[in-house]
Amino acid sequence: MIDIQGLQFSYGEGDFSLQVPELAVANGETVAIVGPSGSGKTTLLNLIAGNAVPRSGLVRTHGEDVSGMHDAARRDFRIANIGLVFQEFELLEYLNVLDNILLPYRINRTLALDADVRRRAAEIAQQVGIGDKLPRYANHLSQGEKQRVAVVRALVVEPPLLLADEPTGNLDPVNRERVLDILFEYVENNAATLITVTHDHDILQRFQRVIDFKQFYA
Amino acid sequence: MRDVLYLAWRYLVYHRLKTVILVTSITLIVYLPVGLNVVVEQSGEHLTARAEATPLLVGAKGSPLELALNSLYFSPDYPELIDYSEATAVIDSGLATAIPLYVRFRSRSQPIVGTSLDYFEFHELAFASGRPMAVLGECVVGAAVAEALGVEVGDAVTSSPETVFDLAGVYPLRMRIAGVLEKAFTPDDDAIFVDVKTAWIIQGLGHGHQDLARPEAAASVLDRSEDNIVANAALLQYNEITADNADSFHFHGDLAGYPLTAVIAVPNDEKSGVILRGRYTHDETMSQIVRPVTVIDELLDTILTIQQFIVAAVVIVGLATIATAALVFMLSLRLRRREIDTMLKIGGSRPRVASILVAEIAIVIILSCVLATLITLLTWRFGPGVIESVVLS
Repeated sequence: MIDIQGLQFSYGEGDFSLQVPELAVANGETVAIVGPSGSGKTTLLNLIAGNAVPRSGLVRTHGEDVSGMHDAARRDFRIANIGLVFQEFELLEYLNVLDNILLPYRINRTLALDADVRRRAAEIAQQVGIGDKLPRYANHLSQGEKQRVAVVRALVVEPPLLLADEPTGNLDPVNRERVLDILFEYVENNAATLITVTHDHDILQRFQRVIDFKQFYA
Repeated sequence: MRDVLYLAWRYLVYHRLKTVILVTSITLIVYLPVGLNVVVEQSGEHLTARAEATPLLVGAKGSPLELALNSLYFSPDYPELIDYSEATAVIDSGLATAIPLYVRFRSRSQPIVGTSLDYFEFHELAFASGRPMAVLGECVVGAAVAEALGVEVGDAVTSSPETVFDLAGVYPLRMRIAGVLEKAFTPDDDAIFVDVKTAWIIQGLGHGHQDLARPEAAASVLDRSEDNIVANAALLQYNEITADNADSFHFHGDLAGYPLTAVIAVPNDEKSGVILRGRYTHDETMSQIVRPVTVIDELLDTILTIQQFIVAAVVIVGLATIATAALVFMLSLRLRRREIDTMLKIGGSRPRVASILVAEIAIVIILSCVLATLITLLTWRFGPGVIESVVLS
């Protein structure tokens, strides 16, 4: 359950300001957030993930007040509960596919990288059709393959909440459906919550709820 | 920690060209002053040890350095020649023992040292096999020569002509090996020792040929008087001294006027040494006497001065390199901003991400130091030999 109350956020400089009086997302719900560029959709994802701190208000994720946590606790909470998928994939070019997938385990001490994790990573990669690409460097992959790697990286920690920032923005229709299938299958099998920021109106019918962000843009 | 090192290592491996350039630069910056110091120090010790073991050298007036380098290390540039009478003069003074040296000829790259048997005793050279040379035409080879040429007692080495274009010049002389020295770790290991008279034969000052009194040589005789016979070039000259032809070898003129490159003078005591040196201070004397250790110390002083200049230059270049490397690193941090942000967003802490970057630098520095140490060890092992061969060539 994500519960946002009286959220106000602004960057240090500039006139951008985000105000979300009230927003709730139930566990297992799939939500698409749409709205014009610069309306604060990505900022909201960052606030939910704890990558940004609100000026005022409350962001409660799975019962925890993320906005009130100190840095280390927020980071540990994020790594244990939230899987992030980025539009630009954000893969590290100097790591192969497997190492990119396992990156959360290598940069956070609270996660133990053991044989089970490696096996799970290989299995998910196999399920999404990149099982044979594990030894390859990320920049030797197609766009669709890169996004699938980014999705697997988000799923491998088995988070109850998936935040995806335009996950299909750089993909052709075939790969777009493939990536969405992966996300929705995960949500269904794990009773997870999915919040996706998107400009792609063709995919909205797959979500249980669509939130137009225009209403929050000040 | 293992994961931090792993990620840092993967980054360095992926950007291997950048890594190699960085490692090479830092290795050179670390190695150059250290390696140079090792080379200079070791070469200095080598050169000084040899010089200290040789109390005095008598040679023609001119460059003391050339005299010392030729006499101690058998450098190819030989000094102005002196007469053999200089050796007898030292002996006749009763102040010192004299060991003649004639270091002019070579067998391929190995120096041929014309001397006396006293040389082996003076330098405490032991025989691995065989014995000292006993008759004209015999030689003793150093351990390195025996190893390099694959020769042993009973084999032969041949002197090299000074020039192939001078028909009247030095003819090759085939010399039988009478003994092989044990390794001494000095220039003696690389030398071929012969009696000084054999060296004169190499030069052509002494020679052996067909007996002109015999009928088969009659065709070669151009002119015959009561005390002199002139023969033409068809006369058979021997280029090896054997038991059969040894008697035919002879020297013309007074041996006192025969050439030497130097005389090692071993004074009876310190006072004798001082007196002996005093005898060479007159301006009209055509010879000089030098203390090799003084000459080598001056050479080392010069080398040390050059070394200090080089080290100063290396330090400046090093600082510039470190500044450049720091700049490159800072620029690469800006280029890696997104990568760092990604790691932070998916759960990496700032210290953890920073430790990956620090690990990258640490690996580069450690690799560089290990490489620099290896090269320094190689320098320590082989450097002095290389430097000495450069200095003495």
